Amino acid sequence: MASITIEHVTKAFGDVVVLKDFHETIQDKEFVTLLGPSGCGKTTMLRMIAGFEKPTSGLIKIGDRVVSGNGTFVPPEKRGIGMVFQSYAVWPHMNVFDNVAYPLKIAKRPKDEIKKKVERVLETVHLSQYAQRFPMQLSGGQQQRVALARALVAEPSVLLLDEPLSNLDAKLRESMRFEIKQIQREYGITVVYVTHDQTEAMAMSDRIVVINRGVVQQVGSPTEVYRRPANQFVADFVGTINFLKGEAKGGRIELQGLSQSIPYDGMYKGKVVVAIRPENVSLLPNGGQPLNGRLTNTFYLGDITDCRVDVGGQHLRVIANSRSYDTLTEGQEVTVYVDDFLVYEDDGRDDHTQIVT
Amino acid sequence: MQPSLAPAKKELHFDIKWLIVAAIVALLLIFEVFPLIYLVLRSVFSTGRFSIEAFQRVYSYELNWEAVRNTLVTATLSMFFGIMIAFPLAWLVGRTNLYGKKFFRTLFVMTYMVPPYVGAMAWLRLLNPRVGTLNVFIQKLLGLPQPPFNIYSIGGLVWVLTTFYYPYAFITISRAMEKMDPSLEEASRISGASPLKTLFTVTLPMMTPSIVAAALLVFVSAASCYGIPSIIGAPGQIHTVTTRIIDFVYIGSQEGLTDATTLAVFLMLISNAVLYVSTFVLGRRQYITVSGKSTRPNIVDLGRWRILLTVLVALFSIVIVVIPFVTVAMTSVTVNMGKPLTASNFTWKFWERIMTRESILHSAKNSLISGTIAATAGIVISLTMAYLLVRTNVKGKRIPDFLITMGSGTPSIVIALALIMTMSGRFGINIYNTLTIMIVAYMIKYMLMGMRTIVSAMAQIHPSLEEASQISGAGWLRVLKDVTIPLIGPSVVAGWFLIFMPSFYELTMSTLLYSTDTKTLGYELFTYQTYHSQQTASALATAILLMVIVVNWILNKLTKGEFSI
Repeated sequence: MASITIEHVTKAFGDVVVLKDFHETIQDKEFVTLLGPSGCGKTTMLRMIAGFEKPTSGLIKIGDRVVSGNGTFVPPEKRGIGMVFQSYAVWPHMNVFDNVAYPLKIAKRPKDEIKKKVERVLETVHLSQYAQRFPMQLSGGQQQRVALARALVAEPSVLLLDEPLSNLDAKLRESMRFEIKQIQREYGITVVYVTHDQTEAMAMSDRIVVINRGVVQQVGSPTEVYRRPANQFVADFVGTINFLKGEAKGGRIELQGLSQSIPYDGMYKGKVVVAIRPENVSLLPNGGQPLNGRLTNTFYLGDITDCRVDVGGQHLRVIANSRSYDTLTEGQEVTVYVDDFLVYEDDGRDDHTQIVT
Repeated sequence: MQPSLAPAKKELHFDIKWLIVAAIVALLLIFEVFPLIYLVLRSVFSTGRFSIEAFQRVYSYELNWEAVRNTLVTATLSMFFGIMIAFPLAWLVGRTNLYGKKFFRTLFVMTYMVPPYVGAMAWLRLLNPRVGTLNVFIQKLLGLPQPPFNIYSIGGLVWVLTTFYYPYAFITISRAMEKMDPSLEEASRISGASPLKTLFTVTLPMMTPSIVAAALLVFVSAASCYGIPSIIGAPGQIHTVTTRIIDFVYIGSQEGLTDATTLAVFLMLISNAVLYVSTFVLGRRQYITVSGKSTRPNIVDLGRWRILLTVLVALFSIVIVVIPFVTVAMTSVTVNMGKPLTASNFTWKFWERIMTRESILHSAKNSLISGTIAATAGIVISLTMAYLLVRTNVKGKRIPDFLITMGSGTPSIVIALALIMTMSGRFGINIYNTLTIMIVAYMIKYMLMGMRTIVSAMAQIHPSLEEASQISGAGWLRVLKDVTIPLIGPSVVAGWFLIFMPSFYELTMSTLLYSTDTKTLGYELFTYQTYHSQQTASALATAILLMVIVVNWILNKLTKGEFSI
């Protein structure tokens, strides 16, 4: 059993606090993603699980064993973890076989067992025919697989991945996503995955931990995080969203700069922000609330048409059917229909989405 | 209809960049390549016809064989000990939580800027077989019947060569270590390897090409060093190839010159072979491991060894750096060197002397002039070359780079000898007995340092910064002036001092090239040390040491800690 228990972990470099009071338990065989903009502290958390950084305070347990905190600190080599680094970190002076066999050699396993296990894992990552090659003769994607094979070969119960796909091209990234997920199921391991790419996080995770400026914003399944984002930051970082300012009173929200309102029976009163995902707005009647506006820009993207609509001085991004492109003229008056939206209290700050590093 | 593919009128494309490359190549051919080739030819055509007679004669003297043997033995041992010292130090200072590692680093790197003969002067005082201060101290401490060490020996020579050339290896290895992607080591740790196991299975193998390159550098520097063996070897009758060459040149006869040439060719062949191996064999093997992210080096926690190792490194620095330099400084204010330094034995007399004596001031002025001109001209060429190398695709840009590298890899004594034989009027150029010949020699030997510094600085500036200036209408010279030079300013200053400092206190080449009017500071110091007054020499050496420290401090401030030496 390899759950990972993180209790009130805080990390500071000097005076700079990069991670504040992280508290979460990752279940056995769970795929959890730490998602956030660069500099949010997600990699630091991963490196603390690995043992490359010591928490300033707090406790980390892998399974039932305290690896960090309470006066104990288990160095990385004693933690029995597999890890894939962003730069792959494939050793240039060893060939593929030796790279992958390394963890087993360190563990002093018999030669024939090493051979069998390395061959098996190389097959899993489709590198069998490259065993004798040197890293310099491999493409980025292949080096990536070597790193993955090396992390898996000792059959660890925990696998850590630090933005493993960020250096690959778009097509390869998509297929690797699928493969990593396959491997996780096959090996039945606990995975902690760090990324700033929300699509990656959505596609692979059982649960997502959204972090911003060292503080956990929300923890939940991909659907929870997407459909019910806990705050404006999460709403904006995961997926695309429009924010419209307004005022809630008497069961309706009056939109700023517009003599229109939409029905609302939520808890907030006074200044609010209405958050609308582009796919929940339509240029065609869909039973939603109509709003009048003017079409300012249209972008033909092939599968969809991306439109910007000016609603009383505020911009609204609307996804339209690509076939409608020919019928739309920039500058024309349009009616948009909103069939789903979220409401947040307006605390007067507009920097939720700003990325501070 | 297809557009015409026929070329426009064939016009003479007069590229100014190409002209500049051609001009630099021409200068290098005249002042570097030709003299060196002449040196080799002269050794086999000494009688007008091809013969290896000269070689047979030179190597039939037992004394010469002994010199060759001494050179190879001392250089090999210094290389071995130098690496044994430099690698652990580079690792401790660069990759662990050793206390005061920044300070230690500065200390070791600074030794690199100190002329090697200063070390010889200091150790001469400390380990003189009868009256050496340290020798006598250890004798009393351990109650030995006689002082334990004799500096006038092969061992003494190796000791001083090692203490002065290990910084070369330290710098080379430290740089390679800094460039290594830390996640390569982290990957080993997470695979279950302890820090020590990681050091031996990942760090060390990945560093091997750099370590070998560093070793070869120490070997060649030690083998071609003249200052140390001439100060320490001479009293003990220990000859090396370099001291023999100078002896032969001083004999002055044709035969002496031929013998010097023949020995010099031996030295040159060794160093060229080493240069070839480290650029073309090892250079290709250097693993490119620089990554985009997480360049924060992986710091190994020394745990309970931390204090012990810090104490060891501190002791090492005291013995290798502090004691010698303090000894030289103390010698400079001592009246009677046989007695301990007390108030009655204290004097500023020698400092006054170096500030007032006409001959010393004249030599200092010569060194200042030739150092300044060599550094300035060297930097102008370096800047141009760096620009052409990094930013353009002009044909033949690699040729000057290659020639400058070769010049720098050639032993000083060989360069000087080759210049003497070709630049004394026989081939239409006579600059012998002038400062010009010094300047030429300094540039050939030290220009590479400036060029490397500027090339690496320029490689870090994104070309778009320059392209922005170009698109605004500036020509390439204007771009250089408005954008490039301001951005690489600090490196230019650093490069200037890297050429200036070694030229300023140069000894080996000056010993061969000086004339009554063009004595240099290094030569003046050397003659005072050997013939007249060790205190005066020490005062000069201390002044040079202070200058090194000040320059180092300025460079550090100027580049915000990014650059020292």
